[in-house]
Parts: sequence; C-alpha cells; structure tokens
Amino acid sequence: MTIALQVFVTGLAAGGVYGLFAAGHTLIYRLTGMVNFAFGDLVGLGVFATLLVLSGTAPVTQSGAHEPRFLGALVVGLVFCVSAGILTYFGLVQPYLARGSTIGWVAGTAAVAFAIRAAIGAAFQRSSYVFPDPLPFHRVGHAGFIRIGGAQVQARAFFVIGLALALALGSAWLLEKSRFGRALRAVADDAEGARVVGVPVDLLVALAFGLVGALAMIAAIAAAPGQAVNANTGTLLGLKGLVAALAVRFGPPLLAFGAGLLLGVVESAIANVHLGSWQLGPSYREVLPLAFVLLLIAIWPSREALEEQE
Amino acid sequence: MTALGQTAGELRRAVDEARAGWSRVAWITVAAVALAPLVPFLSLPGVRLDSLADTVYLAVAATGLGLTVGAAGLPSLGAGAFMAIGAFTSALLVARSGWPLEPAVLAGAAAALVAGLISGGIVRLRGAFVAAGTWLLAWLVWLFLLAFPSVSGGSQGLILPPKTLLGLDATPTVHFEVALVMLTLTALAIAAVRRGAPGLELSALRQAPRLATSLGVPLGRRRLGAFVASAFVAGLAGALSVQLAAVADPAAYDPFLSFKLLVAVLLGGAAATLGPAAGVAALGLIGLVSDPLARALQLPLERFDTAVAAILLVFVLALGGGGIVPWLRRFFPLQRRTARAGLVAERRERAQASAGPVLQALELRKAFGGVVALDGLSLELARGETVALVGPNGSGKTTALRLISGAEPPDSGRVLFGGRALTGERTPDRVRLGVARTLQATAYFPELTALESVLVGRSVRRHFGGAIRTALVTPNAREEAAQSEAAAREALDLVGLADVAFVPTPELTTSQRRLVALAAALAGEPEVLLVDELAAGAGSEELEYIAEVVGRIRGRGIAVLLVEHNLRLVRLAADRVLVLAAGRSVAEGSVAEVADSDVVRRAYLGTQRL
Repeated sequence: MTIALQVFVTGLAAGGVYGLFAAGHTLIYRLTGMVNFAFGDLVGLGVFATLLVLSGTAPVTQSGAHEPRFLGALVVGLVFCVSAGILTYFGLVQPYLARGSTIGWVAGTAAVAFAIRAAIGAAFQRSSYVFPDPLPFHRVGHAGFIRIGGAQVQARAFFVIGLALALALGSAWLLEKSRFGRALRAVADDAEGARVVGVPVDLLVALAFGLVGALAMIAAIAAAPGQAVNANTGTLLGLKGLVAALAVRFGPPLLAFGAGLLLGVVESAIANVHLGSWQLGPSYREVLPLAFVLLLIAIWPSREALEEQE
Repeated sequence: MTALGQTAGELRRAVDEARAGWSRVAWITVAAVALAPLVPFLSLPGVRLDSLADTVYLAVAATGLGLTVGAAGLPSLGAGAFMAIGAFTSALLVARSGWPLEPAVLAGAAAALVAGLISGGIVRLRGAFVAAGTWLLAWLVWLFLLAFPSVSGGSQGLILPPKTLLGLDATPTVHFEVALVMLTLTALAIAAVRRGAPGLELSALRQAPRLATSLGVPLGRRRLGAFVASAFVAGLAGALSVQLAAVADPAAYDPFLSFKLLVAVLLGGAAATLGPAAGVAALGLIGLVSDPLARALQLPLERFDTAVAAILLVFVLALGGGGIVPWLRRFFPLQRRTARAGLVAERRERAQASAGPVLQALELRKAFGGVVALDGLSLELARGETVALVGPNGSGKTTALRLISGAEPPDSGRVLFGGRALTGERTPDRVRLGVARTLQATAYFPELTALESVLVGRSVRRHFGGAIRTALVTPNAREEAAQSEAAAREALDLVGLADVAFVPTPELTTSQRRLVALAAALAGEPEVLLVDELAAGAGSEELEYIAEVVGRIRGRGIAVLLVEHNLRLVRLAADRVLVLAAGRSVAEGSVAEVADSDVVRRAYLGTQRL
C-alpha cells in the first residue's frame, strides 16, 4: 500500500508534465491538423537557455540559484521557447499548410527538432546536468521527502502536480472564456470560416504555437531539479506528450492532459510495482506504453483519423 | 498464334517500347551502373570502401522508402526502425545462434516485413497520424534497444564474427558489389511498379483519395503494400549493412537515421525512382566537406550539419523545388507519351444475364443521429434502363447512392445485385462486381492525364498487374497493361474525349473533367452505374451532349441510376423517374406522369399554390 502511494504520486508528478505536452500537441493538431515534432525540443531549448543564463554550461549544484536571477533566467528561457516556436510556425509550418503539403511540415518540424537537439548537445556536452533549484524543497520534511504512512514522497512532486493542474485548468478556462480562447476555438472548428469573418488566423495559431511551449516549459522546469537533464530531456517529454495525445486521438485538451497524467502513473507502475514475484521493471517503462498506443492507432483508429474515403 | 510467336511479338514490342522510351538519362544511368562495380579495383585515394558500401546500403533503404514517400505520399519518419529491426534480428541470429549470413539476412528482412504489417494499419490514416505513428515506431525501436542491453549488446553493441557472403569472404569489396546489385534491382523493380498499374493507383490515392476509392481502388491494401515493401527493403539493407560494420551498435539506429532517410528521399526527389539514391549521395558529399571542418573546429557537428541541411532543404521545397533528380531532368526533356498504335480492346464476356432486375434496393433505411436521411427506399433497375432519382435538397438522394455503392452500411434494408445480396462488400468489392459510382464533387487527379485518370478505373479488372508481377514485367502483366489501355481509350471514346487523352487533367474544363470521371467509372466495366449530379452547372448545349452520352452508355446494356437536379437532363435521358422526399419515394413513373403529379409539386414547392 505504501509503495502504491509513492508510485502514484511520483507518477502523477511526471504525468502532469506529460499532460501539458499532450494538451499542447492536441491543441495544435486541432488548430492546424498537423503535429509539431519539434514541440519537445523547442521546450528543451527554453530549458537549456534558462540553464545557460543561470550557470553557463558547467555542471550545476543546488547553490547556483538565487531567486531574482532565476526569474530573469526563466524569462530569457521563455522568450527563447516562445519565439522559436513562432518562428518555426511561420518558417516551416504555415507555408506548407497553405499549400496542403504534409511532407513539408513533417520534414520541417523534424528538422528543427534534430537541429535543436544537436545544438544543445554541442553546447552541453556532458551526459547529464543538474538543474538548480530555486525553491527550498530540501528544507521541507526530511531533506525534501515527506513521509505519508510509510511512503517517502518528494515534496517537489506535490508542487509539480499542483502547478501542472493549475496551468491546465487555467488555460482550459482561458480557452473557454477569453476572447483569445474563443477565437482559437473558432479556428479549430473552421479555419477558413474564421479567416473569412476577419479572425487573424495565422497570428493566433503562431501565438498558440509559442504559448503551448511556454506552458509546457514552466512545468518541465518545475520538475527539472528532481532529476538529471540532458539534450534528450525535451525530446522525450515531447514524445510522451504525443503518446498521450494519440491515446485520446487528439481529443479535447483537458482529456489529453488526463491521458498524460495516466501515462505518468502507468510508467511509474510498470517500473516499480511488483505483484508477488512478478515484475516488469524499469526497462519496460517507456517501451510498453509506446507500443500500446502505436498498436491502438494502427488497429483501432477513430473515424476522424481515417483518410477521407468513399 | 503459337506460344512462341506470342513471345516473339511480346519481345519485339518490349524492344520497340524500350527504344521509344530511351533517353540520354537512360544512357547516363546505364553507364553509371556499368562503371560503378569497378570502383573497388581502382584503388582511389581517400576512398574508404567500407563506408562507400555502407552508403550504397543506405541508398537501397532510401530507394525503398521512395515507394512509400514518393509514390504513396506517406510521410514516413520510421524507415530507420525497419533497418534496425533487420539489423538486430540478423545480428542476433549470426552472433548468438551461429546462423550463416544469407538466411540470417533474409530473416532480418522478414522481421522488418512483419513489423511493417503489424504497424501498417496506420497507412489508412491521415498524413498527420501516419507521420506521428512512424515517429513513435522509430522511437519505440530505439528505446527498446537502449532498455534491453541483453538484446542489443548495450553500449558496446553486438560483435559479429566474420562470415562468408555468397561463398566469398565478406570483405567490403564483396559488400560493395552486393549493395550495387541490390540497388539496381530495387530501383528497377520500383521503377516498373511506379510506371505500372499499382504505381498509378498509389498516385491516384495520393492525389484524390475519395475519387480513387470510389473507383474501386482499395486504399488500405495498396498503401500497406507500399509500406511493407519499403520495410522489407529497409530490413534487407539494414541486415546487410550491419554485417559489413561487424558490430550492431544501438547508437547507430537512433530516430535520426529515419529522419536522414526521409531527408535523402526529399533532397534527391521523391517523385523520381532514382531520387532517393541521389539524395543519399548528396548527403554523403555534404558530410565529406563538413566532417573534416567540424573536426578542425572541434565541434560535434556530425548531426547538426544534416539537420541544418534539412532545414535548408525544406525552404527549397517551400519554394516549389522537387529535389535533385527532377531538377536535373529539366535539362533532359523526356517526350511525353503519345498514342500507342494497334491496340484493340477485348471486351470482357459477361456471364449470361439472368432475367429480372440487375439491381434492387429493398427498404433501405439510414439515420444520422436523430435525422432520418432515408426512410425505407426501394427501387429496381433493369439492364439497359436509365432511372432518374430526383427530389429536393436533403431528400436522401446522395445517401441512397452511398448505401448502394457500399460507402456506408444501411441501418436496415438490403441491396441485391443480380439477385445476390450485397452486405459486407465495401466499395472496391462492389465496383469489382459491377456496381460503379461517380462522385458529386468535381474531384480530379491533378498530376494525371485524362487517359491515366481513366486507367485508374481499370484497377478492378486487373488480374496479372499486381505489384510483384508488374515489378518482374511478366508477359501477362504487359499484355494486361495493353488491354487496360485499350479499354480506357474506348471508355474515353464513349464519352467523346478521345482527342484529349494525353492532356493533363488540370487543363480540362470542369464538364470535361466530369466526363473523364464518368469514363473512369465505365472503364471498370460496370453493369450498374450510379451517377451523382452529372449536369451540375452545365449549359444547355452541354446538357444535350451529356444526355447523348448517357444514351450511349445505356446502349451498352448498362443500367444507369441518375441522381439529378437538372430536370431537363432527366427529361432527355431517363426512362423512368423516382421522386424522393424526406427519405421516401413519393412518386414513380414516366417523366410525363411524374411531372404532372401533385405529390411531386408539393414535395418541391411545399403545399402553397404558386
């Protein structure tokens, strides 16, 4: 029982981050009908830009972070992430969407993904980095761990879960109530129609491209000090988000967020839970959900996902 | 004609055609193929034979991917996964089970083929899902290799013992020659498939999937064929290249490999069979320049340069470029094919018609949510009869056609064709049986000529034109191709468009395109033709012409169901009229009878008197 709670909370914390990536993927798909393969790497770019401002390319210890400087670095990272997202949209996505060419945006966003990964890898050549922690979690409980029943749970996990939930629900509320959100929903329903009645479709979609990156990046940074980060971190988070979004076939963003939470818990359970002597173990943590979702869309696709046929 | 005479005639025709299609490009290609095997014996300075052979294997995989990306138009980001599957399957069999090389390589390719079949369901999906699914596959395979060092040999990889290949020590020279043979054979097979009927159908599915499937081309099966063939070729190339490297290293199969293959295909030109190989060569040349530069500057650039090259590439694509080979081709214009003489269509002998109606619909019902689109419609069509289905918008006409053609299953009711109930058959099966349909939309194939568009409709009458026979250019396949062309020309003739056979479809008028679509449906030799809104937007002269065409079709003994808003065409062409209102048949009879009917007037104009 105690291990179950530990697995659950740790999984939810990872899943909260996946969920924001999933919601971002699904929102972009609903706006444009495309998948941004560079999503994770664009967020990675923001995370490493933050790290670069904070402490250069040296391996980092906890002491590196002071709050004002951290906020400055975070803003720099966000600016990088958002503007790179917007540039990607205008440079490599919009021209192809306008021409109805799928292969163009697929190759374009994948190219951005690998270029960013290569650039981060070139600047940060160690196999892993420790992200500085601006919040004094190590002072909470026993050196950052809270004891619930017999379970040891990282205090940070609760913070990440709360932050991810707040970001997801907040942006869902904005999508529902704000003018910007209404306009986005109009584009998702009928981009041509929205364009005809004067909605600046390209500008809105470009902003959405940037903003979903910013949301995901805040969650990724909140979770980052908990584990080692490297050039693959962003890529893998984007991949997990895509897995969750595909599991709900690019359904409503909140549903995709839920799928992300579930993915986090499932991964955590695969890695840690054993039933009697039977256990899957950490090796299966990433491959099993991936294989499951791939088979799911291959064998049992939704009607909307099918190519238009007679 | 004796069998020998037939073969001789066949050969002569093949030679004639080859001569007609021969160009400077062909000369250059043949020269390159003839000279390339000599490279290992020239001892060129600075050329490492093993990396050269590896590049040729990569070109083989890219050429295979060209079928998926270029012909089928599927944005695959997973080709490297199939190379990895082929590589590790064969490596495990050689290193752990002590298999000889040749069966291990074949097993590797077979494993890639099976993986292609398992994941191949995604080819039915929209482009975004295909790209996402293949991206997942690429990551899945790589993460699997990282997570299971017991399979992949961990960071050291699997060390492979030296083996013999085809009885020779597997030196880089032997690998190079084997790779060249594979590249040549793969390119020849893919070129034949792309020029033949399967390639035409793949390209039709890529350009206008709805139109192609309505003509009976099975979307899932055709695309799966291309996807799986690419997977097999990639698996084969992967299995051989890993033996050349003598170590199976998981790091070499990260998803970047898949991306690199896609970039090679696009860089060289997806539209050309040799494009992908040219793309691999171009990436290799870029690497020759940038790698020493990166070493000199001490930058880990080996990936960055490909990624940057890729970004430049997509900008080039955005400006409308089609890649290296299509660009080169502009300097070697190939003459457009014109008429092929001396072909006579062999009309298919139909099974002798049984008496009674050829098509019956019984009590068809269909509701969409709460809206009842069709509420118990029954109708009958006799051979050589033209029946018009008229009614106001939303009365269920198009729904009736969709149910009869198998585009959608009815909620209840049955469709009988020649007395046989059609239930599980989807559109392609029904077209093959003899129930064809034209679409209301004026979709067309923008890259095909009129004749090629009509040929797409022949797909349901292919017996010997499958991908494998087409690739091997068997006599049967060639003969059938000639017959298909003759039948397509006859169909074009029937609608009076014989003289625009070689005109690209975008240059035709809207009503000509509509007639091309009609001819495409006719090319499948239907017994029942369902025609949706043939006269939409036609002027009065065109209308009379269309009525004449419908008359000619009827003269062939084909039963025609005409869904039509234009009552003048109905008057000119139909034997019988069925009036639909709110999903039910409200009147039936000759044109004159129905035109006078009160019920009809009410259905169209409401109860108010004019």
